[in-house]
Formats: sequence, structure tokens, C-alpha cells
Amino acid sequence: MGDDGVGIYVVRILKGKIPLRADVEFKELSLGGLRLVEEILGYESVFIIDSIASSGTVGRIREFTPQQFKGTQYVSSPHDTNFATALELYKKLEANEVPKTIRIFTLDISPEFTFTEALSPPVQRAALELAERIALEVEQIRN
Amino acid sequence: MKTVTINPVTRLEGHGKISIFLNDEGNVENAYFQVPELRGFEKFCEGRPVEEMPDITSRICGVCPEAHHIASTKALDAVFHVEPPPAAKKLRELLYSAFFVADHITHFYVLAGPDFVMGPTAPKAERNILGVIAKVGLEVGSSVIKHRSDALDIIAAIGGKRIHPSCGVPGGVSKPITEDERNKIEAISKSEVEFAKFTMKLFDDIVLKNKDYVNLITSDTHATETYCMGTLDEQNRVNFYDGKIRVVDPEGKEFAKYPPADYQQYISEHVEPWTYLKFPYLKKIGWKGLIGGKDSGVYKATPLARLNVAEGMATPIAKAEYKRIYETLGHKPVHSTLATHWARLIELVYAAERMLELSQDSEITSPNVRTIPTAIPDEGVGAVEAPRGTLIHHYKTDAKGMVKGVNLIVATTNNHAAISMSIKQAAEGVIKKGEVSDGILNVVEMAFRAYDPCYACATHTLPGQMPLHIKIFSKNGAVIRDIRRP
Repeated sequence: MGDDGVGIYVVRILKGKIPLRADVEFKELSLGGLRLVEEILGYESVFIIDSIASSGTVGRIREFTPQQFKGTQYVSSPHDTNFATALELYKKLEANEVPKTIRIFTLDISPEFTFTEALSPPVQRAALELAERIALEVEQIRN
Repeated sequence: MKTVTINPVTRLEGHGKISIFLNDEGNVENAYFQVPELRGFEKFCEGRPVEEMPDITSRICGVCPEAHHIASTKALDAVFHVEPPPAAKKLRELLYSAFFVADHITHFYVLAGPDFVMGPTAPKAERNILGVIAKVGLEVGSSVIKHRSDALDIIAAIGGKRIHPSCGVPGGVSKPITEDERNKIEAISKSEVEFAKFTMKLFDDIVLKNKDYVNLITSDTHATETYCMGTLDEQNRVNFYDGKIRVVDPEGKEFAKYPPADYQQYISEHVEPWTYLKFPYLKKIGWKGLIGGKDSGVYKATPLARLNVAEGMATPIAKAEYKRIYETLGHKPVHSTLATHWARLIELVYAAERMLELSQDSEITSPNVRTIPTAIPDEGVGAVEAPRGTLIHHYKTDAKGMVKGVNLIVATTNNHAAISMSIKQAAEGVIKKGEVSDGILNVVEMAFRAYDPCYACATHTLPGQMPLHIKIFSKNGAVIRDIRRP
């Protein structure tokens, strides 16, 4: 809902920008941890796009690698293991299935939660910018 | 376009916030578990076509979407006053049993297991699934993810996809399964039964044969004596998909038994100013605060609570395990919080056996999987047992089936009071005269992890931001310790 759903919004823009290709697949997901890792197994290269609530500038785009989340690997969660731990688990157990390249793009959103079906203007602008950037990256993968 | 703003600010993902208040002597006076759980779904679904609810509500949680999907689908049956054909109910239950298998496997090996396999005092870097795999071996680890994945394949076969399955419609399910799919499901189910038995044996060897762990499980410092709630079939056996809700008192005597549609006659919700999450309690007993006992309306709805309200399990191996837990612990009901892990494994055995039974049912491949609704929609309640407790979806619509009102009592909400009480108990063991032991995080985590509370989606953490935050306050409100998971 609203800015929280910007990841899905970016994916939908990308579906329109990237011509149909047999080697490119889009997924819209609302999950994390083990289930998220299970959804990316078997691919060569993965782009994950999601929102992050922070006190930073709304609409800020950042890129992370899974390595940068290693510090969260031992974070306690009573309901699911986190992405970093799940990824490490599958690297130990099904290394061949883990994508060689995982790039994580985040867009900062306000921690104040507003339920709406639209994005706020700064997040919408950022989403368009990010989609443009990722579309170029995907094109370069083919080339 | 509707806009609803929630103020003050908070978000669902990630923060288990615990506040512990000390008395003049520096011992624990009160502990509060705050879950910033968004009730937004109940509001922003208003005005939507009610048939969308199974797909909307399955997004409440990325770990247990199936629970909401099925509860919502059952609510649609009630809203449209339509009875699904037997094959549809069996397919829903088959999908649901597969979900229970995947979920309980995950909880034991990934979340709770590390406490037992590695030990509660093991370094935090080892006390997780990676430490478990290092100790029990890669083969066991591979078996864990294989059986979890296979269960999700069953969900995909019936529900269309592994993640956020979408098969629930008012009056049935969207498609039948083929004989080929049935064969595959049967083969997987047989393997799941064996894996459930293996897991039960692992628990025996690692936990039940370890005196220290048994003492931990049975100690009074981890026991909260409350009413218990669960859903049972007509023979008072645990049923995850359907049945009547039964409540027993702290001594095990039946207090109430009712169809889910009557829940509002039995359950009320108490509001506290320091948390968004309400406290459901038994209406006829009343809210007396965060205390247990027969005169307090606090109740638990957990795997252990389900076993406590039941008189047995409906499948043979689970039935034998059910008998064993109470013979071993010497009494029923059992209120030791950590015994919930044992109960969860008994349920894993039942879910796997039930999956196999349903896969071999002669009706399971019937093409008759839907009764088309003809009545005018108005109001309905759907309930299931989620892995972590009783889950209720209650919808009201106008005559065109547009949602006018939604009330969700999610499983963790049922346990909110009990979780706070368990945390207080755990904290009392590690905070004495103002001195806070280093083990506090581990001990408190163990206490609430047994409930498998549902609130975090871990991918929303930035490096350095942690989901568990404990604050300890002196009598005059000053913060003595502020502990975050490092």
C-alpha cells in the first residue's frame, strides 16, 4: 500500500519497459526470509527492489549487496529467519541454485504509514528513475 | 481514492519492543510486549469486493499467507451462505495440512531448534539454523529444506503457486487436481510422515533425554496458567481446518464450546494505551489485567493450548505422541511455555499423516469442487487454526457484496496477554535487585519464541537495525538498560 509497495510499482514499470524476453522473469512478492530466497533460486542474476522506512530523504535510492546484510545474519526474529541467514543457508545446502549476482535496490520511504493506492510524488519520481536505471542494466546483461 | 493515515508513526515490519519496569527493590514489577501491528487491513478493505479478501488478506503475512487465505475463503462461504462440496473442503484441508507441515518444520529447525540443538547459552553467532546445520550435518539440513519445499509444491499444485496461493472462492476452490497430481502429493506425503517421525526422534534425543532441557520445559518459571483455546472436530480431536472452538479452564475443565460464528458472544477485546494490539479475553470471566488463573479472562491459543483442549489426535502416530506428552509430563493441561515446542512437533506428525490420508481419499480428485452461490451476501465468519493459534475473519457486506466491515482476530492477538506474562516471568529470572544478567536477551527470546508470534518481515532491516529491543526502567521511570540485538 502506498509507498510501501514501491518495489511492486517499479517491477510493473519494468514489465512495460523491457521487451518480452525468455531469459527475463518478473515477480511481485510480499514476503521475506526463507520464502524470498526460495523464490530467487535457480536464476543467474537477481534484482530485488523494495522500500525501506527511514529518517533519510524520502525517495533516496540505494543499492546493496547481500554481503552488506551479513551483520543482520544473527538477528533474532520469532517468526522467520531473515534474508541474510536464509541466503547463507542455501549457499551451504544448494550452492548451485543460488544466483551468482544478487543486487538489492531500496527506496527510502517515510516511517509514517499512509494507506493509499498511489505513491507519494518523491517516491514516484524515484521509482521512475530506478526503473530507467534497472532497464538499462538488464539490457546490458543481454549485450 | 481513499487515504487513511495512521498516526503516531510506526510500521509493521520488524520491531519486537519489550519494556520492563522494576520496583523499588530492583526486581521486575511489570513487563510489556509491544507489537506495532497494523490493523490497517480491517480499514482499507472497506469498499472492496468481498471476493478479493482471500487474496488481499493473504498479504497480511509473508510467512503464513495460507492461514489467512483459507480463513478468508471460509468467511466467503458464510457471507454467500453457500456450502462447498466435500471434495473442495478436502482440497482446502490438504493444502492447509501441507502449509502446517512447511510451517512447523520451519519453526522447529530454523527458529526454536537452535535454542535446543545449540543450547540457550551458545554464542549468538551459532544459535541459528547455520549453527544447527553445522552440528547435525548437511544431510539433515538438506532434508529440512527438501521437505519444506515439497510441502510448498503441494500448495502450488492445489493453490496455483507456492507463494500466496490463490484457490479459495466462495463455495469451493478454483480447480480440482488430476490423478497425476494426486500421485505426486501422495508420494510427498509419505516422505513427510517419515520426516515428521525423524524430527520427533531428534527432539527425543536432543531435548527429552537431556535432564537440563526437561527441567527447563517443566519449570514453573516458564509456566503461565491460563484458559486454553483450540478448534476440535466432533470427537474433540485437534482439527486445523474446521470444527467448533473449545475453551478449557486452567485445570482442564470445559468452559465453552461454540461455532466460530458465535465468537463475539465469548470474546471481547481490551485496549491498553501503550500498544496498538488489543488483548482478547473471555467475556464471561472479564479482563482482570495481565494475570493468569481461573478468575482472569486471559487465554492462550497455541499448539500446546490446542492439545490441552483436545481429547486426542485424529491420526494414529500423532495420537500415540499425544498420549506420551501427557504421560511424560504427568498431568493435563500442561502450562509450561516451552512444552509448546513439543506440542508443535506432535502437530507436525498429525499434519503429515492427515496429508497422506487426504491424498488417498477417493473423493480428492473429484471434478466437483464448487457450489455456485445464489444467495444475497451479507455477513459471515470464517475460522481456522493457524500454526500459532485460532484465526478468525469476520466480514460484513452490502447486498452487492462490497465490504462494509472487517474484523480480524489473528492468532498472535489471542496470545498477546500470555506473551507479556511469559516475558515477565522470563525477565524475573534474570533481573534481580537491579542487576541485569547478560543472558536476558536469550531468555526473553526463548519465552516468546515458543508462541511463534507473527510480526516481522526481516528483509526490511537495514544493516545495523535490529528487531528486538528491550528497555528496562527503574521505579521512577529512568532507563536503566537499553538492549538491542547486536
